[in-house]
Amino acid sequence: MKIVHKINLANISVIILIALTGFFAFENLNHVLTKLRFTEIADDLNASFLEMRLSEKNYFLYRDTSALAEISKKIGESMMTLESVKPDIIKATGEKNFEGLKSCLTRYLTEVDAVRDSAAQTVEMQAGVREAGQKLREFSDQITHLERSRVNEILSFSKRQLFSSLCFILIAAIGLRYMTFFKILKTLKQIKRVVVSISEGNFRPVETEIPDDELGSVMTAINAMSKELEDREEQILQSKKLASLGILTAGVAHELGNPLNNISMIAQTYMEVYDSLSKEDRIDFMVKIEEESHRIKHIVDNLLDFSRPKKSKSKIADLNDVVLRSLKLVQNMIHVCNVETSINLQEGLPPVFIDEDQILEVLINLMTNSLQASSRGDSLKIITRLLEGDEYIEITVEDTGKGIPHELLAHVFDPFFTTKGNSGTGLGLFVSYGIIKNHQGVMKVDSTEGVGTCFTIELPAYKANTEEEA
Amino acid sequence: MNGQRIMVIDDENIVGKMLKAVLEQDGYNVETFLGGAPALARLQEERFDVVITDLKMKGIDGMEILLKVKKEWPETKVIMITAFAGLDAAVEALRGKVDDFFPKPVKIKDLKACIERLLSTP
Repeated sequence: MKIVHKINLANISVIILIALTGFFAFENLNHVLTKLRFTEIADDLNASFLEMRLSEKNYFLYRDTSALAEISKKIGESMMTLESVKPDIIKATGEKNFEGLKSCLTRYLTEVDAVRDSAAQTVEMQAGVREAGQKLREFSDQITHLERSRVNEILSFSKRQLFSSLCFILIAAIGLRYMTFFKILKTLKQIKRVVVSISEGNFRPVETEIPDDELGSVMTAINAMSKELEDREEQILQSKKLASLGILTAGVAHELGNPLNNISMIAQTYMEVYDSLSKEDRIDFMVKIEEESHRIKHIVDNLLDFSRPKKSKSKIADLNDVVLRSLKLVQNMIHVCNVETSINLQEGLPPVFIDEDQILEVLINLMTNSLQASSRGDSLKIITRLLEGDEYIEITVEDTGKGIPHELLAHVFDPFFTTKGNSGTGLGLFVSYGIIKNHQGVMKVDSTEGVGTCFTIELPAYKANTEEEA
Repeated sequence: MNGQRIMVIDDENIVGKMLKAVLEQDGYNVETFLGGAPALARLQEERFDVVITDLKMKGIDGMEILLKVKKEWPETKVIMITAFAGLDAAVEALRGKVDDFFPKPVKIKDLKACIERLLSTP
């Protein structure tokens, strides 16, 4: 679902909740109004009933029969009033109460009429009138009282309902927003991680499931960009390789030039001084030619070794073990250089899927470089640690040697770049860089002239469920 | 030709050894050096008639030796040997008044003829 749809849905849900709450509040208000209308009517009726009882009292005190006629008249009026507001009363308090009230009135009328019509006017009849009047009053009072208390109930119920609805709307609004924005922020964070990683030259695509929304499109676009950048980098690398082919040719020409010149000179000298040479001398000349041929073969082998893609023998390994092995191999050199080494290997690192020999070659290369750049008393620091996110392990080889000038730093991974003059081939770091890249890793360098150099390697931690890469 | 002093400077051991063998057979007095620094030190002590030097060397290179020799001892002949037969290096070497210039691989016969020619001209 798209983000805009999600936000719309959340907003619509909140609006529906508000509308429902409003509707119920309106209904309650209507109900209260009905009840209030009834109590108004009931008050009027009660006033009439009170007057009836007063007339009744007059009759009993003064035996005034006109008071009975008064009561009958009032009952008639009340009946009419009752009939005229029948729907209101039924609505407010129900048909049963309406009928009850009516029957009380009718009975009162019957009793009053009976006394009026009878000449005898017995005590029983009088008691009947009194009782019917009392009952009418009581019944009416009872209903009025009941309905008043119902009004109070409805009002306090409405209050509670409004309050709880408000809380519910508030929670729902916050919750929906949180759910929507939490997802968006989570995805944004993921995108940020990928973009940072791309900016560091690591073209890994977004690995998690791509959501079907606007952020999903962004992630797809970033993945496409990452792929494009990787291709471009590959192209740039290719053109760089072509450019370096020129340097390679010159390098090879120079490297091969010397032994070829030597062979040529040995042969010429051999012919020139042949007569004065003893048998041993002649053999010595041939040995020298043989040696120079070997030198050429060695150069050619090295070149082939460099150009031929090596078969990877990757397997699961502990990076700390590899670091310790490499240290053992350069131990003698460390001793000779008199460089202080400190090793800080994080325990419990996850395994890596690597070609141990190749990584060993890289580490020895870095350590040898560091030692060659260091002087007596300098220090060499080797650190392994698990990077945040538990996906990469970092190896740092840091020295306090002479450092690399800033303007040369960008070229240290170029083929045939060397600061060691004739003693370096300029291929070590170039090959190392390729090895780390083939391991889906990253290799970086940081250096300050006169302060030291720090090489950093990041290798992916091995995950048991990922397919093994050959 | 007797006892004329020739200095050979090349970081390739074989070059010095071979030239020494050939040139000593012809009666020259040959001293070989693997680098520019000891060679210049030796030049301070004694005069040489010909200096044969490789162009590209670690530390003090052939060009530096040429300039120094031509400045201090202009009568000493300098022959430059280099792996780079390019025009640029030749022009630069000539600008430094090099007496002759040999690309690798060096033809020893030509080199010998060159030495003879240089030593016969005043």
